[in-house]
Amino acid sequence: MLTRFLEITRDRINRPLQYYQDICVRCGACMDACHFYAASRNPAHIPAQRMMLVRKALQGERSWLNWYRDADRADGRQVSEIQQAMWECTGCRRCATFCPFDLDTALLVSVGRYALMNEGTGLEAETGHGMILEIGNAEISKGEIIEDLKEFYIEQVKLLEKRVQDEFAPDLQIPVDKKGAEILYVPLVGEHATVPAAKIFHAAGADWTMSLFTATNHSFFVGDMARAKQAARLILDEALRLGVKAIVYPECGHATRTLLSFFENWFGEEIAGIERMNLEPLVASYLEQGKINVRAGAVDTPITYHDPCNLGRNGGFFEEPRSLIRAVASEFRELEPNRALNWCCGGGGGLIAVPEMKETRMQAGNEKAEQIRRTGAKWVVTACENCKTQLGDLNEHYGLGVEIKGVTDLVADALIL
Amino acid sequence: MESIAFLFCFVTPYVAAAAFLGGIAYRLTVWRQRSPVPVHLSMFPRPESPLARLGHALVDTFTLKGLWKVNKPLWVGAFAMHLGLLSLLLGHVRTVTDYYLLWELLNWGEEQQALFSHLAGIVAGVLFMVPLVYLLGRRFAGAVKWISVPEDYLILLLLLGIAITGNHMRFLVEVDIHQLRAFLQGLIFFRWAPAPASAGISFIYHFAMVQLLMIYFPFSKLSHTIGTVLSKMVARS
Repeated sequence: MLTRFLEITRDRINRPLQYYQDICVRCGACMDACHFYAASRNPAHIPAQRMMLVRKALQGERSWLNWYRDADRADGRQVSEIQQAMWECTGCRRCATFCPFDLDTALLVSVGRYALMNEGTGLEAETGHGMILEIGNAEISKGEIIEDLKEFYIEQVKLLEKRVQDEFAPDLQIPVDKKGAEILYVPLVGEHATVPAAKIFHAAGADWTMSLFTATNHSFFVGDMARAKQAARLILDEALRLGVKAIVYPECGHATRTLLSFFENWFGEEIAGIERMNLEPLVASYLEQGKINVRAGAVDTPITYHDPCNLGRNGGFFEEPRSLIRAVASEFRELEPNRALNWCCGGGGGLIAVPEMKETRMQAGNEKAEQIRRTGAKWVVTACENCKTQLGDLNEHYGLGVEIKGVTDLVADALIL
Repeated sequence: MESIAFLFCFVTPYVAAAAFLGGIAYRLTVWRQRSPVPVHLSMFPRPESPLARLGHALVDTFTLKGLWKVNKPLWVGAFAMHLGLLSLLLGHVRTVTDYYLLWELLNWGEEQQALFSHLAGIVAGVLFMVPLVYLLGRRFAGAVKWISVPEDYLILLLLLGIAITGNHMRFLVEVDIHQLRAFLQGLIFFRWAPAPASAGISFIYHFAMVQLLMIYFPFSKLSHTIGTVLSKMVARS
């Protein structure tokens, strides 16, 4: 049992994970940091225990020292515990901010998920990770059929463009596949990620074009870095073909993390001349430089901001979204805790794509729901697709009576042309 | 008994020293051989320049900032234990040589030196031992029990044994520092001198447990002593 899992894990244990194995003192600081453990009180959810489950499996049953090493029997219970430890984690890295050694559970989960996937433990349906894998594969194969899709896609964007022109500005354009544009904006599936960006780019007079692809990278969620790179290459190739100066990613946490942390390593020299950024800091700089103007106090509803893990703690964008919100909203209230210590919404790490995980997600979001209730805010604003979907589900599940919005929605609705 | 005392005083110390140094070299080699992660795994906020990041990691390491934010009793216990341990290590320098320059600067005579060492030793000994009892106790309660493995208990028991025998020598026995110094210098420079008789049997237990700890050190979670800053730099890469 778990033969492939152990082979792959052993092979993929890198330096930080070796530190994790060797120096974790099991002090337990991480247990109070994890939203999964806070909600479930299941030992397999304690970050230190996630590592110990893997470590014990790696040690196996080999010697007379087993009683001391606390080695686990390779049985169904062990497999199910490891499944929980690896899949019921959003990789938010809140535990790492409290760990005396900054040990990174997201890294462990990335390796562990990939290894489990290759093992095929028969629990796929339960954890539903097959779904994440399928979406990841679809993102890659879109590259092969893009020529057939292109015409239809551009047609659809033209229809959308017409609608936005009628409602917003008659001379607004949503360019697709435009050679020589400065900015390649990579959207998400659904017009909600395109319309606010189009309005803001229009107002700022930016020279931009839309990508034929989407920013999401589901292979990244399952730790399949070879496939994640393949999906990312589609964007790089498009950027090179169009000769853009910058790639801009939308309100999407994990995709932004791939863009800002992984592209450089994946593509080296090829990407060197192209700037990479997230939409939030770009829009914040437009506002700061006076390229766009907004109606101050356009929103007087009490409003709060949820820091997406991948933009805040893992990306360093704490103040940019806040400066945008403060520019348009008169009553801004912080969630407690916030910024680097913000609690994960409970839907990250790809879990949102897995219908089977809904109940687990709702449980893990319990604390977040309470925090939102405590602020008394009526609008909850965030800058990540995953968070938006999860917060929407929490809103319904816990009856919060709030509205979920993106930061750029707020800005786009308050633009002065 | 004689022969066991001889074994622990003149034979195993060399084994322990070799295992300690060799073990650390082995541990560092294992870490070196593992491939570094080529991407940025930064946690934010983090300072911009590499030097500032190192400073940030060091401050975090020595203040245990993360623990303070999430679990204050644990911070107090862990911080006091580590502080006591550091003071004790500094104090133990006197068992081999002395702070000649410091005494000269302070213009302290032999009596003042002895008094200060005695008081500092009492404070450090208590600072080390009491938190160890707390740290061991919490391993038996609630969720910490779930994540504890035999290694965790063994190391705490070993440290507690070292603390108890050490404090015994500090509080209840008058140890002749010159005897002790002659013995340890003898071990280091191969000019063997007899074990300090004034310390009694506590010394043999104390010394033997320290050797056990030295041997186990590189192969246990105690290697966090050398790994903390390395690991913290990964989170600031």
